[in-house]
Amino acid sequence: MTAASPSLPPGFEELEAFVPYWSLETNDQRRAARSTADMDDIQRFYDAIVARAEQAIVHCEQFALGFMPPASERLFKLLLAMNHAAIAVEMHGAPRAFDSTWPSAVRITEGPWPHGGGSR
Amino acid sequence: MSSVIERPAATRHIIDERSFTHAAGLGTGPVSVEPYRSPEFFELERERVFKRAWLCIGRVEQLPQVNSYFTKDIEIWKASVLVTRDKHDRIRAFHNVCSHRGNLVVNQTCGVAERLVCRYHNWQYRNDGELIGVPDQKHFFDLDRRSCGLTPIACEVWEGFIFLNHQKKPEVTLAEFLGPFGTRYAGIPYFNLDETIVIQADFKANWKLIADAFAEPYHVPSLHPATLAPGFAHPEENRYARPLSAMAHGIHRHFSAYGNPDYVPSPTSKVEALVYVQDTGGVLGGDASDNAAALTAHPAINPTKDRSWSADVTWLFPNFNIDYSTGGFWTHEFWPVAHDRTHWTLKIYIPKTMSIRHRLQLEHYACRWAEVVLEDVTNCERIQRGLDARAKDTMILQDAEMLIRHSLHVLDKWVKADRVADALA
Repeated sequence: MTAASPSLPPGFEELEAFVPYWSLETNDQRRAARSTADMDDIQRFYDAIVARAEQAIVHCEQFALGFMPPASERLFKLLLAMNHAAIAVEMHGAPRAFDSTWPSAVRITEGPWPHGGGSR
Repeated sequence: MSSVIERPAATRHIIDERSFTHAAGLGTGPVSVEPYRSPEFFELERERVFKRAWLCIGRVEQLPQVNSYFTKDIEIWKASVLVTRDKHDRIRAFHNVCSHRGNLVVNQTCGVAERLVCRYHNWQYRNDGELIGVPDQKHFFDLDRRSCGLTPIACEVWEGFIFLNHQKKPEVTLAEFLGPFGTRYAGIPYFNLDETIVIQADFKANWKLIADAFAEPYHVPSLHPATLAPGFAHPEENRYARPLSAMAHGIHRHFSAYGNPDYVPSPTSKVEALVYVQDTGGVLGGDASDNAAALTAHPAINPTKDRSWSADVTWLFPNFNIDYSTGGFWTHEFWPVAHDRTHWTLKIYIPKTMSIRHRLQLEHYACRWAEVVLEDVTNCERIQRGLDARAKDTMILQDAEMLIRHSLHVLDKWVKADRVADALA
């Protein structure tokens, strides 16, 4: 994706830089992205997405769940990833739990529909 | 991080200081940690506990229609089991093993089929276990098809939960095995049955260490300071998250967890505040429906009917938890793999996604859970290393850890008893 062909809906250009790393298909992929990121990068994403969260939600609410145009779906996945960034920023002040190991034995094998991952 | 709202003194939570341990008739001394590190004890558990107890392996919703089936590896039995719903709507279980040359018959985890075919030589079985097709049968010698069906496994259902027993003729029925727990916890409404969050972990620790982690809330403020403590403890009223109640029910047991009824996300937790649903203090989701009201009204749930209630943990001997909260229920399967290896599956039953905002709430719920699980799994692997060092021969349990003491007490009885009836006595 180049700057000439934005992947997000018009009006959300400032979030474009976060799409490659944070707009992911499953719950477990988003968790892994947060768990292995630098805290500074998590904070930058958190600040940017939180600032636009309400508008992004309103935008996504135009569409039925599971039937969004690709650009809106990418934005929705950024909103989903916002929750993971919040675990680091609002709970731990670190990318993941104190003294936890990574790679981790823990896997989210089925997440909520849609874009949760698993059998559905 | 939570903010705590001040309340008038009259509504303050009063900690029940009566001893749960004494009430359950248990001792109070140190207990041996050998059951957590001994390969020999593990083999005793395999033969005398897991091959004689009724084990929960799933729910009836996993077989949604006639001819549905699922398979499951039960490593402690070294077995693959096949569970089916036959054309008479009867739920049955079998060893997933072909009578011809012993191959596994079904290699899918679930599906819908009346006929199940072993792909080695295309022997065909009906989902009631009968052998119905043998290619080139005339070249076998006196083959009696009727005696060559799938090997059945004893299977019974309680409140929608499917239990199996490894004994060819189980010494006790499921109702006898469940005992007072089965009657006390009958009639609880189960809801949100069609959607689940599933979190799994394969890790290097004894299966009882992770079961123990969910059996006591004493560790919540220290091990889960950010993920759980704000909702499940209180800096003044219940600093150590003492349970509201903890009781033995025959060989099974429960504790009721305290919930901070005034918990709200801190103003600086912008995302949590955005997605949070206010309920009775459970930070692990909320459901304000009639279902939740019927659940909390059931006499077995939150038996002291304490206002500061968040969840009930029930531990069915040996390795299964059903946990109830206002947001619904979740289950834990703690499957032993080796004396220091465990496979754990947590299934959280959730409402169907209703909206964008609801989906965001569910994501937050799933990530909080996964983080709690990460904290516990990492911790269990550390405990195993500590116990394996053999610096300590015993552990010291306080009153809030009563369920662990009861678990070890019951386990000891099962390992020593020659008859299941004696182990239940």
